[in-house]
Amino acid sequence: MSATGTRGAARNPARDQVAIVGIGRSPYSRDRAGCTPGSLVLDACIAAARDAGLGATDIDGICGSMVAAQYVQAALGIPAVSWFANPQAVIGNQLVAAVAAVHSGMCDVALVYHHAYRLPWASRSAAQDPMRRRATLGVADARSWYGTGHVDTGPNSMFGANAYAAWAGRYLHDHGYTREALGRVALNSRTNAAANPNAVYREPLTMDAYLAGRMVRDPLSVYDMDIPVDAADAFIVTTTERARDLPRPPVLVHAATLGHTDYGSEEQLRDLDHAGQVVVTRKLWAKSELTLADVDVFFPYEGFSNIALAWFENVGYCGRGEGGAFVAQHWVEAEQRIVIDGRIPVNTHGGSLSEGGTQGAGHLYEACLQLRGEAGPRQVPGAEVALVTPGGYYFNSQGFLLRADR
Amino acid sequence: MNDEELLDAFGGVRIDHDNAAYHRGLLERRLLINRCDSCAAWHHPPRSVCPRCWSRSITPTDVAGDGFLALITILRQGPPQPGVDYAAGHALVAVELDEQPGLRIAGTVVGAPAEQLRVGDRVRLLWRDLPGRLPRPDFEVVR
Ligand SMILES: [Zn+2]
Repeated sequence: MSATGTRGAARNPARDQVAIVGIGRSPYSRDRAGCTPGSLVLDACIAAARDAGLGATDIDGICGSMVAAQYVQAALGIPAVSWFANPQAVIGNQLVAAVAAVHSGMCDVALVYHHAYRLPWASRSAAQDPMRRRATLGVADARSWYGTGHVDTGPNSMFGANAYAAWAGRYLHDHGYTREALGRVALNSRTNAAANPNAVYREPLTMDAYLAGRMVRDPLSVYDMDIPVDAADAFIVTTTERARDLPRPPVLVHAATLGHTDYGSEEQLRDLDHAGQVVVTRKLWAKSELTLADVDVFFPYEGFSNIALAWFENVGYCGRGEGGAFVAQHWVEAEQRIVIDGRIPVNTHGGSLSEGGTQGAGHLYEACLQLRGEAGPRQVPGAEVALVTPGGYYFNSQGFLLRADR
Repeated sequence: MNDEELLDAFGGVRIDHDNAAYHRGLLERRLLINRCDSCAAWHHPPRSVCPRCWSRSITPTDVAGDGFLALITILRQGPPQPGVDYAAGHALVAVELDEQPGLRIAGTVVGAPAEQLRVGDRVRLLWRDLPGRLPRPDFEVVR
């Protein structure tokens, strides 16, 4: 067994026993005035509950990212919960916690949510809202979560986006790619976003325009990094048994996992063979009788374009370093997007690079739409299995096999 | 230097009992990396136990500061900081030290245009005093 390996079959007693029965969102926007993280989350939660045909008294579990569960409970008048949690972002942490809580009986109906909020230093229009200057007052930064290794931040720290850019450069260097390899990920998202009314960037992007994009952190340009938005997504999770009595088609959580390896900060990651993504994908397939051939639609997170190339490799479409070549091989020039084997589209909603950056929550939402057959002009005909891989190289790699209940 | 003085010297940095020795070293132009007294493994950032053998016997130990560029990015925007020129492109690198595979220190490289840096380039430690900047290790390319 390798350092990051999971050999053979893995236990999965929750397989298909828990379902997503409601989805809701606060529409993604680059210029929404008057909202707060709380108001965005509440809008999404109400929409998800109504979608599920449930009300405040039906919910007995709450699990969100950066807005406190207690806030949501009080604001929505949810009289009593027997389970609540606020795991670190991103969305997979909330979803696996809720699946485990429902399956174990800690609660019966869990409300799951995540939001994004434009901060003044990340968005010119957000800078015009004076109240956003205080949006992070008292909120944790890189120094205050004990243990990530970052005791300072800034231009000499391999923190967050800086580290993704540095590892993107290492990937291009090690495998002999040019920036076109990253560009196809961005173009794919933009092309698919054209058919998604929720996407904030829907106008076409050409490779020439991509290559001329303003560099921010070499080799990543403005087109390689997720779009700041005001947005929230919410999901209602309950038992599959109960799901079958509810109005919407259940989306079954067939297999779910997180993954992490033992490095202290981003620059100490040994290499991409020792990243959390490897743990996630080995465990995910070990927990499932499904294989890659069963997947109808694929949602590799692309908040930084290079992350998606690593997901192609780790889920098993190709070997290490071959992600860029794989995407080129499965690139449909006439459509300006990726269609794997002529059958499997990728990030049909436009992803974080064009729908808007919600750290994978948008990917999960679109996967539910696809499996419910409600994706409109983007619908993958007969989609029954979705592979959703939120998160990046560090701290938050996650994977889900979701199934339609057919 | 007592703890109060160390905190004053690194305003805004979360100095604690685990990383104090590292930061005291920077003030003396020494790059001190935690090394295990039991198994000789190095680790960074500084922790209270050895990740290889769980020994609590750890000694912050001088490293030569020689190594190669393992990770490189060029920052074109960011928060203002002394010595950082985003317009020219600020090189942010991780140097893999010769002491142990995978043992890396983040910093910048001076004396060469950022665009010319390549993964694998040999570098060595360079200490600079920049007015208004906290003490930290820099690197220069060895040609
Ligand atoms: Zn040891």
